[in-house]
Amino acid sequence: MVISFGHSGLSSGAMRQLLLGRGGEKAVFGHFGAGSDYALAARRAMHTFRTGPETWKHIAVGERKWANLNPRAMKHREAMTFDDYYRAPWVVDPFRLYDNCLITDGGRAMVVTSAERARDLKQPPVLIMGMGQHNPSSETAQATYMTGPTGAKRAVEMAFHMAGITLDDIDACQIYDCFTYTVEITLQDYGFFGPGEGEDWFRDGKIEPGGRMPVNTSGGLLSEVYFMGLTPLSEAAMQLMGRCGERQLGPATNTKAPNIMLCNDNGGSLQSHSCFILRRA
Amino acid sequence: MKYEKPLPEPDGDSRPFWDGCREHQLRFQKCKECDHVRWPPSIICPRCYSQETDWIVAKGKGKVFTYVIYHQAFHPAFKEDLPYVVAVIELEEGPHLLSNIVGCPHDRLRCDMPVEVSWEDVTEEISLPKFRPVG
Repeated sequence: MVISFGHSGLSSGAMRQLLLGRGGEKAVFGHFGAGSDYALAARRAMHTFRTGPETWKHIAVGERKWANLNPRAMKHREAMTFDDYYRAPWVVDPFRLYDNCLITDGGRAMVVTSAERARDLKQPPVLIMGMGQHNPSSETAQATYMTGPTGAKRAVEMAFHMAGITLDDIDACQIYDCFTYTVEITLQDYGFFGPGEGEDWFRDGKIEPGGRMPVNTSGGLLSEVYFMGLTPLSEAAMQLMGRCGERQLGPATNTKAPNIMLCNDNGGSLQSHSCFILRRA
Repeated sequence: MKYEKPLPEPDGDSRPFWDGCREHQLRFQKCKECDHVRWPPSIICPRCYSQETDWIVAKGKGKVFTYVIYHQAFHPAFKEDLPYVVAVIELEEGPHLLSNIVGCPHDRLRCDMPVEVSWEDVTEEISLPKFRPVG
């Protein structure tokens, strides 16, 4: 089975049309796009626990460092410092420019087959250990779960149960990062840290090259390319196959060589959540 | 002056709400079975699935559940308003309503701050419920 995604999102204006068209009567009040819904969630989170730009800058800058090692990344040649993050213009406050993902022309595909059939294929296979899905589904304005637990919590419990492992077995993560806050709330719901502990958890390059828990090692949706859930999922597979060149987890990036990786996708505005645990064959 | 921003398009579900707005009333459906007051309008209660429904008039008071400040215009007609505030209002009766906060310096905005409805008559047919700080 082939899973594919392709879109001329940037040059055709199709992504902009898709996002502007989905708001319905919210446009009456000047509410447009996806970032603004996530920004509403992020603001409530800032009220509910300790978070905000001080936390999110670590995500934006950390992912950019991975993109700088990835020649396919749209932001490969652009470095980013914390100052750059703060100096960037507001889009929809509390989100500045670099809290938002990219829009990309292009596509990506993966092949899924049985372990038996994969055995003699050209590339080393990666195995699916577990998966889980949970879809709380409420429309953004009515949702009260935007500060967690989102669908991520139950989805990951299902995936861990199926895989027979725990969070301690995870070597790296590829997290759907449409916005910086999405990464924080997803990792928080997965149990990597408690509500409001993200700023400390992300500190000291935790998710960056050389860090103890690499996250979004392609640069992610924020700094590599926006191919929906295929950005995190394909990167997890490529890393476990050992096909990532300069950004390869292991000695090349002073990180642990990965055996097991957690990756996910979410849909709507935190309304649906799917996660996958992959391992090296 | 012509009103250039998008206008609501009342349909079978939402017409009673927008008709109410014209009279400066916030009307919501209340489930006859479980008393849940809901928004957006729908033929069945999302909590208990009953189709038995009353309409109530809300007092127009609530608090800011969350808010954002737009610094970019995604539609040209909103450019003159930048920066402007979009908020989710948690009404006393329960529903969350997406709207704008007006009449509040942005550095005074807070989640959970009390607000009340403030009507804007934008055309002959349409009045929009916006919110301003209480007091």
